Amino acid sequence: MAEATITVRNRSGLHARPAATFVRTAAGFGADVRLCNLSRDPGRMASAKSMLAVLGLGVGHGDEIRLEATGADADAAIDTLLALIAGGLGEGMAEATGE
Amino acid sequence: MTTLRGVAAAPGMAAAPPALLEPASASGAPHLALDAAVTEACRQLDRLGARLRDRGLPDESEILEAQALMAADPELLEAAGRRIAAGIAADDAILAAGEEAAAVLEGLPDELLAARAADVRDVAARIARAVRGEAPPQLSRRSILVARDLAPSTTAELDQTLLAGLALEGGSPTAHAAILARALGIPAVVGIPGLLAAASSAAELLVDGNAGLVMLEPGAEDRHRLAHWETELQGRLDAERALHDRPLATADGHRVTLGANIGSPDDASPALRAGAEGVGLFRTEFVFMGRRRAPDEQTQAVAYAQVLRAFGERPVMIRLMDIGGDKPLPFVVLDPEPNPFLGVRAIRLAERDPGLLSTQLRAIVRAAAEAGVPRPLIMAPMVADLADVRRVRALLDEAVSAIGAAVTPQLGIMVEVPSAIVVADQLAREVAFFSIGTNDLTQYLLAADRTNAALAGRQDPMHPAVLRSIASLVAAAKPHGVPVAVCGEMGGDPAGAVILTGLGVSELSMGPASFGAVKRALASVTLAEAHELAKRCLDAPDAATARAWVNERLAG
Repeated sequence: MAEATITVRNRSGLHARPAATFVRTAAGFGADVRLCNLSRDPGRMASAKSMLAVLGLGVGHGDEIRLEATGADADAAIDTLLALIAGGLGEGMAEATGE
Repeated sequence: MTTLRGVAAAPGMAAAPPALLEPASASGAPHLALDAAVTEACRQLDRLGARLRDRGLPDESEILEAQALMAADPELLEAAGRRIAAGIAADDAILAAGEEAAAVLEGLPDELLAARAADVRDVAARIARAVRGEAPPQLSRRSILVARDLAPSTTAELDQTLLAGLALEGGSPTAHAAILARALGIPAVVGIPGLLAAASSAAELLVDGNAGLVMLEPGAEDRHRLAHWETELQGRLDAERALHDRPLATADGHRVTLGANIGSPDDASPALRAGAEGVGLFRTEFVFMGRRRAPDEQTQAVAYAQVLRAFGERPVMIRLMDIGGDKPLPFVVLDPEPNPFLGVRAIRLAERDPGLLSTQLRAIVRAAAEAGVPRPLIMAPMVADLADVRRVRALLDEAVSAIGAAVTPQLGIMVEVPSAIVVADQLAREVAFFSIGTNDLTQYLLAADRTNAALAGRQDPMHPAVLRSIASLVAAAKPHGVPVAVCGEMGGDPAGAVILTGLGVSELSMGPASFGAVKRALASVTLAEAHELAKRCLDAPDAATARAWVNERLAG
């Protein structure tokens, strides 16, 4: 099993658009990926491939989350998701189109 | 006559009988198994999303794409499956599962997340309808739709010719239904206490989306106001329609090139239909998004060539990847930045690792060769100085020799970093064109984060500092014959378009939805008048004053 802990730093946390980016990325891996929101409810794990489960964790800005993955590409899944979260999850794509 | 007060959510006025959409009720004979119903619901949501994209509403279409993700959510389906296994009918099962998920979201302290509960209920209702073989709710005649709240998918699905107006008991102007109503030009009032009880027995409603009022059984005076509004609107629409086949020009015939901003090959044909003379901003981020690995040269070339072919002889300004900073990708590993707008973004990424940018440049050169475009226009974002231009140029030269095609790319820059304007005379000697990104330029120039709602009042590009910067860029570009375009939101704003033309900008690029209003505004002034107005605005004390001056002139 691969695992990691990271603080969510993008402005609005795992909300609609950032959550969709996160879930789509997680769904691209064969590994079973789960996460929990250590800052809110450390006991509750949710599937990273479920939009509703991820939204239901209520991950806000500054919350610490824990990722766990099992399966052939578990390490790659964790590395990719960590990089995605560290980079801010594409937050602001709608507003910040760069022009 | 009774007047109910709410919050104005989309401008306009309309009167019609009220129509209530019945919420999906859990009864009736199942026609589809749950799996098939989910597939059907996803198909419907994707189709509605594509329809909005086709109308030039990519942001709104993303709402529906996110809902498609919810419809196929494994946990939602598992929760429904458990109920079905316990003997509950499939439609009741999915409604209950949706309700359960919605209740979880509603229980969260975060308001934005709680608002997603409506999206989940909407998705569950859609799947339940598919299970029952029911058609989506429709209006039978021209009506004012009255509801507690309205899902964006429902709004998008209604026959727009029958949807005269929208009155919601709940909701807020930031709700998706309100955003969509504005985008579709449907007058809407939201947050009206007591609406459902009061409106159900009314024969006619008048929605005043300008004032935030709903009149039950409107009287003579209201009808008079409505007639006045309709005449005004008709005049405006007629004027925009009459201008559809005419170029973007001032009253005395000074032409300004009309470009479209597009974000994917799917946006090309709607832009052409709307009358785009070219593309002033082709955002290439789409080719990088939603991938675990960087797209290879061939994948990118195919996508770019699609757009180049669609536009043929018409120029397409391809903006190099503007990623990193606030637009991260899984395959670009970055250190977290406290200040992403001032961080390692766009071409700055290439300083550490030019691989991604080089691949993109080769892909563009190859696409141009394949599409038969000998001089493709390439736009580098986040250029701060000459060294940035030369760095991109060197990579571009390498790309051209690597592909070995007879293609001579024209390298221009996006002007958004204020330093680029300060050294514009240096840059003008080495670039093919300037295109101003007014949104970022405004936030950088005024030191006001444009994602911070508390500073929204400071984001207006009509600020004299922004206008003076543009004037000085135009002056620096002129001796070198470098054209100055604008691809930020200011170009699609009627007042902004007039001032930019007056400042000497030669191309305006915008979302195709803005073409009509911008053509109409520009056609209402002569070039000399636009010059005069622009000159006056350069001396305005602030953006609001400048904007008021221009609006006064445009209304007169």
